[in-house]
Amino acid sequence: MAPSVTSAVVDDKPEIYEDNHVHDVYDQIASHFSSTRYKPWPIIANFLATIPTGWIGLDSGTGNGKYLPLPLERPGSIRTIGLDRSLPLLEIAKTAGGVIRDVVWGDILGYGWRTGAFDYAISIATIHHLATPERRQSAVQRLLEAVSLSHGRILIYVWAIEQDELSKRTVPSNSYSSQNGQDVLVPWVLDQPSKESHQPGRVLQRYYHMFAKGELPGLVIKCAEQMGLCIGASSDFSTGGYGVEIIQDGWERSNYYVELRRWQS
Amino acid sequence: MVRLITHNLLACHVKGCTSNNFPLEFKDVQVELRDAEFNSDFLRGFIPKIEWKALVDAARQVGNTSLPLELPEMLDDDFLKSLHHVLLEIHVEEGSMTCPNCHHVYPISNGIPNMLLAEHEIG
Ligand SMILES: [Zn+2]
Repeated sequence: MAPSVTSAVVDDKPEIYEDNHVHDVYDQIASHFSSTRYKPWPIIANFLATIPTGWIGLDSGTGNGKYLPLPLERPGSIRTIGLDRSLPLLEIAKTAGGVIRDVVWGDILGYGWRTGAFDYAISIATIHHLATPERRQSAVQRLLEAVSLSHGRILIYVWAIEQDELSKRTVPSNSYSSQNGQDVLVPWVLDQPSKESHQPGRVLQRYYHMFAKGELPGLVIKCAEQMGLCIGASSDFSTGGYGVEIIQDGWERSNYYVELRRWQS
Repeated sequence: MVRLITHNLLACHVKGCTSNNFPLEFKDVQVELRDAEFNSDFLRGFIPKIEWKALVDAARQVGNTSLPLELPEMLDDDFLKSLHHVLLEIHVEEGSMTCPNCHHVYPISNGIPNMLLAEHEIG
C-alpha cells in the first residue's frame, strides 16, 4: 500500500523549507520522476496547440521538459524555454523529445528576463511547491511580467484539494472544509522495503500546497490589482490601459488551472 | 542549452540592477555547432521580437560575423539561413555571461546557464 499524504506545517523560513522539502527531493528523484510522467494533460496540449507560429514561451518549472516538444503537430513552429531549480531535471529536459531544448537553471521567483520578453508562459505543477501565499502570488506576478504587455498568454496548473477518484492519493479529510487550501507532505517511495535484507524503504516527503476552489483565480486577481492592471476583457474598459483577462479557469484531473491573456488598449 | 535565442531574452536580475542590465556579455566561451531543423515560418514570426543589436553583438562574441548590423527589410532565404544558424545552431557549452551594469557573472556549465542568485542578491 502506498504511504499516505500527511498534513504539513511550514516550520522554517519558507525558502529553507522549500530547499529541504522540494528542491532536494526533486534532485534525488529526478531520474525516476522523469520516467513516470510524460502524458500532457489535454488543457495544456490545447493551449500550446493554439499558440501562433513564431512565438516564444517560458515553461516556468519545466521539470523534465515534457512540454517543451509541444505542439507535436507543428514541431519547431514555436519555441518554449524551460526554467527549473533542479539541475538533474534540466539535464533530462535539455534533450526532451530527442531534440536539443533551451533550458535555464533558475528560480521561478527570480526575474532573469528582459521585461515582456515572452509571448506566452506556462507554469505546470510548480507554484504549489511554494510555501507561503506571498511567494505563490510573487510567482504569478513573475509570469505576468515575463509575457508581452499587449498579447501575452499564460496557463497555470496547480494541485487541487479535490482529487480525482482515480488518483492513488488520499488527502487528510479535514482539508475539504478549507478555503485557503491545505499544506501537505506527499511521500515519494525511492526504494521499496526489502524483505531479504530487512532494509526499510527510503521515502522522501515532498511539500505541496493543495489549492482550494477559487484560490488560484483569487491569487491572479490580487496580483493583477497590485500591478494596477484592469481585470476583465479589454472591450469592457473604455478608458484604455493595461489589463489581464481570465480566459478560463477550472478543474482537470486533480488540478486547478487558469488561462490568462494580457492586453493593452 | 545556451543558444543565442535564449541569450537574447536573458537579463540581469540582481537586486537594484534594473537598467543597462541587458544584454549579458559572453566571456571565455566554448562553442559547439549542431544542426537544427530549419523553419522559416518560425523565424519570420520571431524576427519582430528579436533585440537585433544584442543578437549581432552576441554573435560576434562567439565568433560569428554573418549578420548585418541593421535588420534587412527583405527577408530572403540567404538571410534567414544565416539567422537560423546564429539563433539555433551555435551552442555555448561552457563560459559565462557578465552583466554590463553590475558585472555579476552568470556561469554556463554543460550547456546550462546558471541564473540563480543568492538570497541577498534577489530583488
Ligand atoms: Zn546586473
